Amino acid sequence: MLITDPRQDDNPIIFSNRAFTELTGYSQAELVGQNCRLLQGPDTDRAAVHKLREAVRGERDVAVDILNYRKDGSTFWNALFVSPVRDRDGAVIYFFASQLDFTNIKSKEAELATARFIAEAEVARRTAELSEALSVKTDLVHEVDHRVKNNLLTIASIIKLQMRRTADGTVERTLKSVLDRVEALSTVQRKLLNDERFGRFDVAEFAGDLAVDIVGSLGRPDIILTTDLHPVIVSASKASPLALIVNELLGDAVRRGLSDGGGEIHLEIRRLNSHLLIRVVDTVTPVDVDKEQNDFSRAMLDASLRQLNAKIHRQVEGYRTDVRVTLLVDN
Amino acid sequence: MRTLIVEDEMLLALELESEVEASGHEVIGVASDFAEAIRLIGRQAPQFAFVDIQLRDGPTGIEVGRHLASVGIPYVFVSGNLKRIPEDFAGAIGAIEKPYTMNGLQNALSYIDALLDGARPSSAPSSLVLSHLPFVMEAQPRKTRAAR
Repeated sequence: MLITDPRQDDNPIIFSNRAFTELTGYSQAELVGQNCRLLQGPDTDRAAVHKLREAVRGERDVAVDILNYRKDGSTFWNALFVSPVRDRDGAVIYFFASQLDFTNIKSKEAELATARFIAEAEVARRTAELSEALSVKTDLVHEVDHRVKNNLLTIASIIKLQMRRTADGTVERTLKSVLDRVEALSTVQRKLLNDERFGRFDVAEFAGDLAVDIVGSLGRPDIILTTDLHPVIVSASKASPLALIVNELLGDAVRRGLSDGGGEIHLEIRRLNSHLLIRVVDTVTPVDVDKEQNDFSRAMLDASLRQLNAKIHRQVEGYRTDVRVTLLVDN
Repeated sequence: MRTLIVEDEMLLALELESEVEASGHEVIGVASDFAEAIRLIGRQAPQFAFVDIQLRDGPTGIEVGRHLASVGIPYVFVSGNLKRIPEDFAGAIGAIEKPYTMNGLQNALSYIDALLDGARPSSAPSSLVLSHLPFVMEAQPRKTRAAR
């Protein structure tokens, strides 16, 4: 602390304690008679000095944080408090000043501010990077999706172009058999979810579409198609084998008589606890099936069932065939 | 019906052309980018068009569609990504989603055919996504049916 005398010219220091000497490096002898401005230096904030001067002139208390200089020229942050001391008549006879070196606090504040600034800049940079990566990924997914769809359609187009050019019934039937499977895969690719449920698909929506498409392509008004469909969302990794299973079950009914004499076909998709149920029930007048086509279809079906670890149960009563496929699906 | 195909995949265009011709229509040309499409629309006066969105010069199919709508030629989009189609469908009757099946395409063709003939077919096939606004044929009467 120190005391100044405002009644003397230039308000000089008239007393300083040992703590002040330790803080500033000036001895009491060096300080007495000097104005406090000897503690100021080139980097001392002019506004802080002005605030201090105005308070002294107005004879008011003032607290100000100010950068001061020691005798050796080094600096310290001074939490300065100045208060006028009055006599009985209220006239100011002294100014009392206390100092607190808060350089450490000040530097910690600066460190914190710097650290926060760096962290914020880092967060902004990472966010920009992630947004960029996400945007690239989204573009990539759309590009790949576009290519897969176009490629499937190109494969189908090649098969159809050849079908149009052949006069051989066997070749045409064979190509049609290949086309049916490609189109089942096309239908499932179209139904893969590209929204926030990306990588999932609804078996019911796909199967319903495929049934309408297959039955519609037969062009027979004497086929009654009924459905009992409930959404079952499964992983897209199951999409292709599921597409082939539904395709083979429907195709089997078509070959056994639906395409020759019409009839009834019922498709059911639902969840049974943790299982998916695919059920196809048909009532047709049986016709002789092409053994080769039939064997091929069974091989496709068996491979797809194995792929999904699915179980099949087939029940035939007269002209009615009831096929149930069940497989475990995640929730 | 004089039909224009706007598609940059030539194999897909070739097969679509066969399908359109098999259903009794004439394909007046295949355009694979925006400039070619605009040129064919101007020179060949198509009565109907199939428009893919992603063309050789980018997603310019939308602009081709807007141009068709502005000159009163009905059309449908054919695209693998229906989300790309603007809210107002750019004046299109609807859209066929790729990869379509042979039967899906034929159903869509018969529906469009009936619609452009002035009939009001009961319900659209699942392969054809209709725009929200009903397509009103009276506003754009077909001038000639000679091509049928």
